[in-house]
Amino acid sequence: MNAVWDWGSGIVDWAVANWSHPGDGERGVWPLLVEHARLAYVSILIGLALALPLGLACVRWTRLYPPVLTGVNVLYAVPSIALFFLMLPYTGFSDWTAIVPLALYTLVILLPNVVDGLRQVPEHVRQAAIAMGFGPMRRLLTVETPVALPVIIAGLRVASVATISMVSVASLVGLGGLGQLILSEGFRRQFDAPIVVGIVLTVLLAFATDALLVLTQRLLTPWARRDGRRGKRRHRATVPAGEATAADAGTDPTQTADSGNGARPWTS
Amino acid sequence: MITFEGAAKHYPDGTVAVAGLDLTVESGRTTVFVGPSGSGKTTSLRMVNRMVEPTSGKVLVDGRDVRSQNPAQLRRSIGYVIQQAGLFPHRTVRDNIATVPLLLGRGRGRARARAAELMDLVGLEPSQAKRYPHQLSGGQQQRVGVARALAADPPVLLMDEPFSAVDPVVRTGLQDELLRLQAELRKTVVLVTHDIDEAVRVGDRIAVFRPGGELAQYDTPERLLTHPVDDFVESFIGYDRGVRRLAFFPANHLSLREDVVLDDQDTVERALNTVDTAGEPWALVVDQRRLPLGWVAADRLRREPSGVELGRLDLTAYGHTFDVERDSLRAALDAAVLSPAGRAVGVDGDGRVLGVVSQADLGGAIWSVSG
Repeated sequence: MNAVWDWGSGIVDWAVANWSHPGDGERGVWPLLVEHARLAYVSILIGLALALPLGLACVRWTRLYPPVLTGVNVLYAVPSIALFFLMLPYTGFSDWTAIVPLALYTLVILLPNVVDGLRQVPEHVRQAAIAMGFGPMRRLLTVETPVALPVIIAGLRVASVATISMVSVASLVGLGGLGQLILSEGFRRQFDAPIVVGIVLTVLLAFATDALLVLTQRLLTPWARRDGRRGKRRHRATVPAGEATAADAGTDPTQTADSGNGARPWTS
Repeated sequence: MITFEGAAKHYPDGTVAVAGLDLTVESGRTTVFVGPSGSGKTTSLRMVNRMVEPTSGKVLVDGRDVRSQNPAQLRRSIGYVIQQAGLFPHRTVRDNIATVPLLLGRGRGRARARAAELMDLVGLEPSQAKRYPHQLSGGQQQRVGVARALAADPPVLLMDEPFSAVDPVVRTGLQDELLRLQAELRKTVVLVTHDIDEAVRVGDRIAVFRPGGELAQYDTPERLLTHPVDDFVESFIGYDRGVRRLAFFPANHLSLREDVVLDDQDTVERALNTVDTAGEPWALVVDQRRLPLGWVAADRLRREPSGVELGRLDLTAYGHTFDVERDSLRAALDAAVLSPAGRAVGVDGDGRVLGVVSQADLGGAIWSVSG
């Protein structure tokens, strides 16, 4: 019991001692955490910025979707380490070396969610919007996208957690935020305090981000909050992105499989 | 006025949705497009607001070709009620209703004030303004759908199977509501349905479509029921069209018998005298306010002690009554058929008995109107 306690307090002591090194050349835990969050958030936002128009286009021109989805899936098959190294000649050791691949990877989850979300807008709602006199663009932006929002945010939650976890890999090219604690401090020096601190802070960051997204969804989609039994089921269902959304909407099972496949590699 | 001039819709695969429709929809009346599925009634309706473009011919609203107008702007000037309501799930009831005023650029405040007026008009509680559609029942959702369609006060209202997604009781209520609204607003309403009873109930004029997108008959409900032009229309209307037609004749011409209506304080002896004099096998017992209590048979009276008051006897249930001033011959006939005495009880607006009518007398009345 004592040994465990000593080990634990040793790790906390290490984290406190190394929290930041103002003026010092060495980087502390806090700056690495900030870098980690920055790399993850910028990647996710860029991913979303790409997935939205791409998804809208795939819904508008349905024939576009299969090849685009295949492309995104194949891209995901490229190992992340390889992609980071491939980026080096172009972006050097800047943040972009990590951000570009990470943003592209988010598409494998975000794109199917945007497409499924838009497709699950009930036909009678779409028809009513046309009949009320919405132009195509206005309809997409003020009716279809808001109605698709719960599904899109569900995808965003999975993509965020996955991206936060994957940022660490970028430490192999000298980026990667908390990953650097694990790789350079811990692994190379055979020292477990930085590894544990790195893991715990990564998990906490993922958890906080997820909580933030849940809150965002509550604020943006008050209408999707259902009271009663149905509500509870729906609420739980939003956690696993692809499956839940498609099943909720009662869309056809092949779409479910698409997004399911997309989500799986991230979670394993 | 809406005019279809040889309006046709052919799809590239050879399917004919509408095969050249010539029809004039009168202003301020309710015109119903009815027919089985695949008869082109919805397609024809959607030509009016350009949700479907005819492949030949044209559609004019008040003499103006709809294709001369921008589709989005045209649609804002034509109300549209869709099956299942088609409400926007992410907008409150109030904002759903305010949709078209907002699209037309009227301010949010004005649009919401207008929404409040319409909620009142269609019978929604002000407390429901900030609810979301999924918190309402099917019938309430459809009321919101109607309010949304009327928000910009369009002269034309298109209704595509508006009441088909709700249960029969709610449907009847919504049909009544439509009749009430229409009596007040006098819009040019075009309503699509596959239910001939609904068509007869709400329509001033009915257009029956046959499969293949042809117009089979365009007439008033009464003419349609009395003079179907061919076998298709006749079979579509149904085998009981003769009985249904009775809905167009008021019951107030019926001669009701008052002599066999007895007070609950009358004695059995007095009742026997009455039925024997009248030659009637049944008498109706009413209370002091003339509300019906039940039937008593002449045979039964003979077995009871002569001094007993009628109110003390076990009476036979009187079934349902018909309102002499408001109901039709059809309702009177229905009441008579369902009555254990074979006689219908006619009441006034307060449910007080005015008299009774036998199936035989009803037969005479029906005979006299069906010439």
